[in-house]
Amino acid sequence: MTGPATVVKAEPTDEILRLDDLKVHFPVKMPFVQRLLQRGETVVHAVDGVSFGIRPGEILGLVGESGCGKSTVGRACVRLVKPTAGRIFFDGQDITKLGGEKLRALRRRIQIIFQDPHASLNPAMTIGKAIGHPLRIHSSVFGPQKTGSEEFGEWIRQKVLNAMKEVGLTPEEQLYDKYPGDLSGGQKQRAVMARALILEPNLLVVDEGVSMLDMSVRAKVLELMLDLKRRHKLTYLFITHDLATAKFICDKIAIMYLGRIVEIGPAREIYADPKHPYTKALLQVIPIPDPDRRAKKVLPRGEVPDAVHPPAGCRFHPRCPAVLASCGWEARDFVDFLDEHLSDPKRAGDDETILGPIEDWRAKGLVASLETNPLKVRKAVERTNAVLVEAPVAMKQAVESVSSQNRTVIVRFRSHHQLLQSNVQGRVVECLLYQ
Amino acid sequence: MSGKIFFRGRDLTQLSNQMYRRIRGEEIALIFQDPMTRLNPLMRIQDHFLEEIHAHESVSSTEARTRAREALVSMGIHETRIRNYPHEFSGGMRQRIMIALALVLKPSLLIADEPTTSLDVIVEAQILEILQDLKEAYHMSLLLITHNLGIVAEVCDRVAVLYAGKLVELGSVRDIFHKPLHPYTQGLLASVIHLETKELHSIEGSPPDLIAPPSGCRFHPRCSYAQPICTERIPPLVEFEPGHFAACHFGDKFL
Ligand SMILES: Nc1ncnc2c1ncn2[C@@H]1O[C@H](COP(=O)(O)OP(=O)(O)OP(=O)(O)O)[C@@H](O)[C@H]1O
Ligand code: SF4
Ligand code: SF4
Ligand SMILES: [Mg+2]
Repeated sequence: MTGPATVVKAEPTDEILRLDDLKVHFPVKMPFVQRLLQRGETVVHAVDGVSFGIRPGEILGLVGESGCGKSTVGRACVRLVKPTAGRIFFDGQDITKLGGEKLRALRRRIQIIFQDPHASLNPAMTIGKAIGHPLRIHSSVFGPQKTGSEEFGEWIRQKVLNAMKEVGLTPEEQLYDKYPGDLSGGQKQRAVMARALILEPNLLVVDEGVSMLDMSVRAKVLELMLDLKRRHKLTYLFITHDLATAKFICDKIAIMYLGRIVEIGPAREIYADPKHPYTKALLQVIPIPDPDRRAKKVLPRGEVPDAVHPPAGCRFHPRCPAVLASCGWEARDFVDFLDEHLSDPKRAGDDETILGPIEDWRAKGLVASLETNPLKVRKAVERTNAVLVEAPVAMKQAVESVSSQNRTVIVRFRSHHQLLQSNVQGRVVECLLYQ
Repeated sequence: MSGKIFFRGRDLTQLSNQMYRRIRGEEIALIFQDPMTRLNPLMRIQDHFLEEIHAHESVSSTEARTRAREALVSMGIHETRIRNYPHEFSGGMRQRIMIALALVLKPSLLIADEPTTSLDVIVEAQILEILQDLKEAYHMSLLLITHNLGIVAEVCDRVAVLYAGKLVELGSVRDIFHKPLHPYTQGLLASVIHLETKELHSIEGSPPDLIAPPSGCRFHPRCSYAQPICTERIPPLVEFEPGHFAACHFGDKFL
């Protein structure tokens, strides 16, 4: 299977981080029997060809729906998951395959903050100890004194108190010996920030760092992030599904769908005028906190498909309101459509007796087929054509032929166009509408 | 626990357990944030429905099966999937199955506790649309519990704001969003981050300790309008304008 091609190539810049066609696939765990039944490729295409760069002092927002691969990108950047393919550059150095001491040194410069502040602090460790922990791990590079000496302890303590002050975790002397359980949600998140910052990293990956916090605390943590960016030129990869927060804080924004970036560019421009149909859909569903501005929304149909078998061509095509005939229609789209048709008794009539049950249909690439009895096959072709009349126009146009062979009905689709990335008004969009 | 809960004029707290169970289900249904709290992973979807129907109504199993199928299809899930197990569905589908299950007895009140928090924004919008349609189709009342003010603005007719276990404001959705009378409601609205947010706001201080709540008005330690009276007297819930209630000593100041 060939994925969409990447034409917009990385040019050498002052970027601190650059991902080049990054892929992360996970093996699917499944019961033995199912593994026997299901042949072919069984991996989750969590990240499937992602490229972007971040400049120093920039905040890049990575947004998209649950399961689209955001966290996996973030974890790949700090090398917590192994890339399947593609390359990652940090500060000009290829870190894709880094190991051992070099990887440890890298982890000092790139820190990650995880989704849940409550889970990321050890409840049995005091706040001061937790924040100072990374210094102890990296003492060989950092500590001016011998590990374990009194001076070393005092040196760490001073660094920790400074970091606490830095993130507004005050009064720092008093909070130093407290346990996570004694802190509020916002204080805990500050402690997590202080721990991430204590090694003075250049890049901070913040994975849903504020989503768990209640509104009043969230604002303070966001302000802290902006403040650190201003004062220390800290760079962020900000991962979230909250588009309003991303708009407020990000310089650049990347919208992900099912393992691919579908649109990336300056936040201001994308929010003002989204180009990709998925970006448009996402921005449209953000609830507006004003009862006078209720509006009927045009929602994409269905849900995000399974990342084990992503749709052919453009992955958004089964749900895209602007879909074209060339976007990637394939056999299973027809079977899904037929399934929907048959499940509506008003529309289906007696179609079920001729075209059902739906389980008897085979969908393989561009060809959907139904083996039926020789007497019914002509009728089945007729009915298939009749059902297709009601199909979305683009799908109808993508059907090459409906035919029969002995006792089998065959619906064949045309092959789709190669999906490329295009530069559109200052951003990169992956959509056939702009090619 | 004290106080009363009236449903159709009857105090639910006075009912026998058996009566209460009947009302819950037939008349009042609940849906939760996590569908798996309601769905048994070892039971087929169909059996969930049959169990629910048979527990409350004496109907033939054919009829029960038909109703189960209809409920599922009304949530956009194909009837051929009725024999599947919960884990064979996506999160959004499970949520819809749970809603279908809650609605199969056609309750007159649906209590939805953060029904979309674990879902994608697009699926969230789909579910909210379904809930609104049902509200109209069955003339069903909906008690939506959420911290997402955007959803409140989109779906609700009236809003009750709670702070530290107390009702601090109650009114029409317009009153609450355009003319909030309680300083907590005002702070909450100001701190919502939305697409037009230019500046961040937050409510000073941190949520109160419910074991030893502040005296007087529970919001006073965080309220910039607090006066001496606020630490001494609990503000009563007052109707400042028709249908618009607030529990603040100085609610009229914001009218
Ligand atoms: N260790 C793993 N093994 C197998 N599959 C995984 C693993 N980690 C993630 N996945 C799968 O990869 C896909 C992407 O997951 P990821 O956590 O990156 O999504 P996300 O965009 O961060 O979602 P969310 O918004 O819910 O946090 C999902 O289908 C997920 O189930
Ligand atoms: S390529 Fe563009 S138009 Fe075609 S399905 Fe994808 S998003 Fe829609
Ligand atoms: S009663 Fe006093 S403290 Fe409470 S909200 Fe009103 S002004 Fe503030
Ligand atoms: Mg994630």
